[in-house]
Amino acid sequence: MELQVINNATCTFCGCVCDDIQLHHDDVRIHKANKACVLGTAWFLNHTAEKKYPDALIDGREATLDEAIEAAANFLYEADMPLVYGMSNTTCEAQKECVALADQLGGLLDSHTSL
Amino acid sequence: MQKSKFLPRGRKDRTMVLVDIRETKSAKAADIFLQVRPGKDFELITILRALIKDRQVSDQAIAETGLTREVIDDLIRRMKGAKFGCVFFGMGLSMTRGKHMNSAALLTLAAEMNAFTKFVAMPMRGHGNVTGADVIMRWQTGYPFGISFSRGYPRYNPGEFSTVDVLVRGDCDAAFIIGADPGATMPQPAIDHLKRIPTIVLDPHVTHTSKLSRVHITTAPQGIAAPGTAYRMDELPMPLKPALKSPYPSDEEVVRRINEAIAKKPFWLPDGSQPQMLNAQV
Repeated sequence: MELQVINNATCTFCGCVCDDIQLHHDDVRIHKANKACVLGTAWFLNHTAEKKYPDALIDGREATLDEAIEAAANFLYEADMPLVYGMSNTTCEAQKECVALADQLGGLLDSHTSL
Repeated sequence: MQKSKFLPRGRKDRTMVLVDIRETKSAKAADIFLQVRPGKDFELITILRALIKDRQVSDQAIAETGLTREVIDDLIRRMKGAKFGCVFFGMGLSMTRGKHMNSAALLTLAAEMNAFTKFVAMPMRGHGNVTGADVIMRWQTGYPFGISFSRGYPRYNPGEFSTVDVLVRGDCDAAFIIGADPGATMPQPAIDHLKRIPTIVLDPHVTHTSKLSRVHITTAPQGIAAPGTAYRMDELPMPLKPALKSPYPSDEEVVRRINEAIAKKPFWLPDGSQPQMLNAQV
C-alpha cells in the first residue's frame, strides 16, 4: 500500500516542538518519521490509530464516553475544592477549555510548570 | 549548528557555560563548566547581581559558592561582552532550597543584565506543550500556574495553590488530570491523596494515574491524531499536523462536553453573586 507523506509535521514529545518532521503513514500507523530525534521517532511510531484501550473506565470497569463524561461532571461539581492539573501533553485549545472548567468550578488550576 | 548573519561561524561564535552541582554529560558540550556547591544557587546569583554593578563582595561569600573570584569575574566579562545572552534554567534551580526565590533571583539577574546587553531567561521544558499551558493561563487569567478560582476571580500563589503542595496537604477533594501522569512522578503522599479523592484522568493511554482514578477517558494523542496548536519552548505557537484518525475523541472535545454538563447544573455560588467575568465572552 502506498504510504501518505506529511511534510513539516510538528513533534510534541518535548519542549523543543520541532516542526520539520516528515511523516510516512497509512491509516493505522506512522511508519517513518524523518528528521525526528530518537525521542521523537519513538513518540510518532508508538502511537497508532488502533483501539487498544476501552473508551472509558469508571471505577476500573469499562463504560461509554457519555457515562464517563456524566460521572466526571458529577464528581467535579460535587467537590468543594476540585483541582485541574496537567495540561502539558495536550493542545492549547484543550487547555483553554480546562481554564474554563476551573473557572466554572471555582477550583484550582495548575500545570507541570509548578513542579 | 546554525550559521547566521550575526554568528557566521555557528557554534564557534557562541559560548555555552554550564552551571551544575556535578559534572554531567552536558559538560562535554559546554565551553565552560562551573561546579557550584549544592544549595548555593541563590547565593551565586546574588553575587553575580552585585558584581555586575561593581559592588563589593567578600572572598568568603564567593568561597561559599564553591567557585573562585577569577572564574566569576571571567563569567561576568563574557556576559557583559555578549551581543545576546540567554539563561536556560530547569528544575535543579526551582526544586532545591529556595525554590521559586531562586527563579525570581535569576529572572532579576537577566532583567538587570539588560543595562549592559540584550539578555533573556528561559525555563527548560520537559513535556510537549507545557509552554502552551503557561501562555494560555496567562492569557485567560493573568497568571501562569498555581491559580485558585475559589473566590470567583483568579488568585496566584505558588506554594499554596501548586499541585504537589495541595495534594500533600490533602486540600483538594477531587482532581481532574489531563495530559499528565502524576501517579508516576509525584511524591508518595501526593499519590496517596489522589487515591483517596475522586480522580478523573484524560489520557491516550491507561496510565499509572488512570489505575488509581475513579474515571478514565481515553483521548486522541495530540499532534498524532488530534489537531490543534502547541507552543515551542520560546513561546512560538506551532500548528499540529495529525497524521492518523483516532477512534477516540480529542481532549478539547471531552473537556468541552464536561464543561457543558456542569453548566447545566445550578451555579455553585448563590444567585446574584455570580462574577461578571463568567458571562463575558472573548
